[in-house]
Amino acid sequence: MSVLASGGFWAFVGVVAGIYTILTLGLQVQFGFAGLLNFGQVGFMALGAYTMAILVVKEGWSMWLAAPLGVAAAAVGGALLGLPTLRLRADYFAIVTIAFSEIIRYVATNETSLTGGSQGTIALGSVGTASQYNGAWTTFQTHVQHKLGFSSADATMLVIVWTVALVLLALTWVALRTPWGRVLRAVRDDEDAAASLGKNVFAYKLQALALGAALAGVAGLFYAWEFSFFSPDDFEPLLTFFAWMILLLGGLGRVWAVPVGAGVFGFIFAGTRFLNFPPFTWVASDERAYIRLIIIGLIILVLVVLRPQGLLGNRREMVLE
Amino acid sequence: MFLQLVANGLVTGSIYAIAAVGVSLVYGILRLVNFAYGDFMAFGALIAYGVNGPLHQSMIVAAIAGMAATAALSLFLDAVLWQPLRARRAGFMSLFLASIGLALVLRQSLLLAAGSAPRSYAVNPYRVFVLGSVRLSEAQVIAIATAAGTIVLVGLFLTLTTWGRVLRAMADDRALAAVSGISVGNATRMAWLVSGLLAGLAGVLAALVEYSFDPNFGFQLLLPVFAAVVLGGIGSAYGALLGGLALGLAQEVSTWSGFAGGVNPVYKPVVAFAVLALALLVRPQGFLGHAAVR
Amino acid sequence: MTSILELEDVVRTYGAVRAVDGTTFSVEQHSVTGLIGPNGAGKSTLFATIAGSLKPTSGRIVFAGKRIDRKPAHRVARAGVVRTYQGARVLTRMSVLENLLLGTKGHPGERLTGTVFRPRASRDFERRTRVRAADLLSLVGLEAHAHAYAGTLSGGQRKLLDLARVLMLEPSLVLLDEPMAGVAPALRGELLQHILAMRRDRGITFLIVEHDLDFVMQAADRVVVMNEGRVLAVGTPADVRANEDVVDAYLGAAR
Repeated sequence: MSVLASGGFWAFVGVVAGIYTILTLGLQVQFGFAGLLNFGQVGFMALGAYTMAILVVKEGWSMWLAAPLGVAAAAVGGALLGLPTLRLRADYFAIVTIAFSEIIRYVATNETSLTGGSQGTIALGSVGTASQYNGAWTTFQTHVQHKLGFSSADATMLVIVWTVALVLLALTWVALRTPWGRVLRAVRDDEDAAASLGKNVFAYKLQALALGAALAGVAGLFYAWEFSFFSPDDFEPLLTFFAWMILLLGGLGRVWAVPVGAGVFGFIFAGTRFLNFPPFTWVASDERAYIRLIIIGLIILVLVVLRPQGLLGNRREMVLE
Repeated sequence: MFLQLVANGLVTGSIYAIAAVGVSLVYGILRLVNFAYGDFMAFGALIAYGVNGPLHQSMIVAAIAGMAATAALSLFLDAVLWQPLRARRAGFMSLFLASIGLALVLRQSLLLAAGSAPRSYAVNPYRVFVLGSVRLSEAQVIAIATAAGTIVLVGLFLTLTTWGRVLRAMADDRALAAVSGISVGNATRMAWLVSGLLAGLAGVLAALVEYSFDPNFGFQLLLPVFAAVVLGGIGSAYGALLGGLALGLAQEVSTWSGFAGGVNPVYKPVVAFAVLALALLVRPQGFLGHAAVR
Repeated sequence: MTSILELEDVVRTYGAVRAVDGTTFSVEQHSVTGLIGPNGAGKSTLFATIAGSLKPTSGRIVFAGKRIDRKPAHRVARAGVVRTYQGARVLTRMSVLENLLLGTKGHPGERLTGTVFRPRASRDFERRTRVRAADLLSLVGLEAHAHAYAGTLSGGQRKLLDLARVLMLEPSLVLLDEPMAGVAPALRGELLQHILAMRRDRGITFLIVEHDLDFVMQAADRVVVMNEGRVLAVGTPADVRANEDVVDAYLGAAR
């Protein structure tokens, strides 16, 4: 129980919530505002993280150059995925996006010389070089920590992640209030009507997909920096489903609902580690991971059935019929 | 070598085919893409294990138990989850998301109950049948024989029986079911029943062929099965059969060295996705589906 | 007497069904032209084909001298051909005002590049658009509902919103798909007045599909009659009413 009171633990939970906020914000743009059923969001996260890591460790780039390129790689990935697939029906599109993220995971697992293979980024370079991207980051983080006068690295990371998250949330919120955002919402509402008003529906969907992918790329970068090393299996479909749960929980079509959903998710996910009472005491602690995921699945089900607009969503504007 | 790949492809393909028909039947009636289908298969495989291993029953008894259990699960979930959603007139996206939540709950429950350790059925993995240049394990022979028989039975069911015709017709037009005198509710339950039976069987056969399996293997099968359904034409049960066989063959044969060295076998799942993507681009309605009126 | 729209031998098939089977006619500029015919004559399919939602299997469609049969729906709309849908397809989850604000062409703020690199031009365009939208809202009498969700409007109000949105787009040719369907008699006169005013004041050409023959006879200068995917007769309302083939077609369809 002492861990429960540990600030370091809760700072970690906060960081994870921040990363998920950015990831899910991308999904909100794609589905909540453009109506795209993207189930491959974790694939774009992987693109961002791996591009940055490979450029720094293998090509010797500065991390501050590699990071934006990671985001760009994710955006390009989104555009490339969308070009042939956005004209497909929604259910086909969803399946193809899952296939896409799985292909990325497969390639990352098998192209060992490029990505370090299934061992992950630890195997990216020779011994000692793999920590380069994290080394540069740690230096930056320590610098910020001194500036802020914090005593813990966890707290510093928390501030950095959430500053970026809040900036991105604000930018997205502003973007959606522009005439561009208005067209996007029209496309979500009725794409044929939007087309008959002269709007190039395909172009808007592609932009939403690419922007959402870019946000996932940013989430990938923070994942890489927070966890130091990562492997392809870190980017499994489960993370996409978590993001969807957060999206549904917070509410569709509301930018500021995303951090609320992510916060609740972080709490559930982390808090259930400490359920030291029956029925949870009946199972071994490593099996509690399964219970946690069952709870998450049940939450998705309950939300879909009983409260599809989520905690803060607008029932009138909700995309789920 | 090539013939061996064709044989392997037929084994995999016939399993895909059976599973794909199950997915297609439910989609045809309910417009529901059942994301939990892979976990239905894993469920069937595990129940069969329970009967075959600890209870020492033959594979046939175990398979039947697996199929029955999966069918029961399928019907139970319709009553408890899908029916209430239909009552709320849930749209396609709600159903899709609900099936994802369901998949999560199912798979994690299986892991909780059975653990993640790999298991095997009590069959001899070393017994081989040789047919010319083709070698098939006992499991593969059982799988292909059973699958072939099932495909024929399913084909007959769909073509000759009233139920089969109703299910096919409803994929085209729900109002038609009313004409034949069978209620939509009963047709729905029949679809879930058959879908569950097929899922159970496909799961057992897949586990048999893979030899060692754990509760996670259902998801790995899910995407190729979806690909098979789409390839064959979503909403067409016959198409699903064709799509499954075609996909299995394509996956295995693509590794043939005659194709400029062939695809690296680790990338076989990627071949399935590539075939799917290509099919969607070239002929979105699949082999036997209806042209989308766009 | 120039033609603003010319259809040459337009065909649209669905598998074995020839929904539009070689339709040829032209629409005069500044006219109100009616398109009538029994159910299944192919009128809706033809509309969708002209508007670009469907591609013709063969044939040519020429608008203001340019071919539009190969263009996608949004380009056809930008070229100046606007269609309305049966039942007024308004964007229900957006406000009445937003529905109108969407009816613009070339708004720099609607492009991401425009929003980022030309903020002043975007703001100016938006301001002018809002002024126009407010004017049109008053024209159709919907000012009080400006910020309500379009989904809350009644059927007749939605039609008015639809018309106002059409005007926002400043089209040359408007394809009206059954504008009087489901409209209360009291509102019909008002809608007709709006249509005639639009033709008179802004020179807009109308091609109207309607089942309400009284309305067509009253409003149209010229009527095109379709049957089984082809043009059966063309002429003034009086000519068409007296035409035996037309009467047969309608009676035949009822048989």
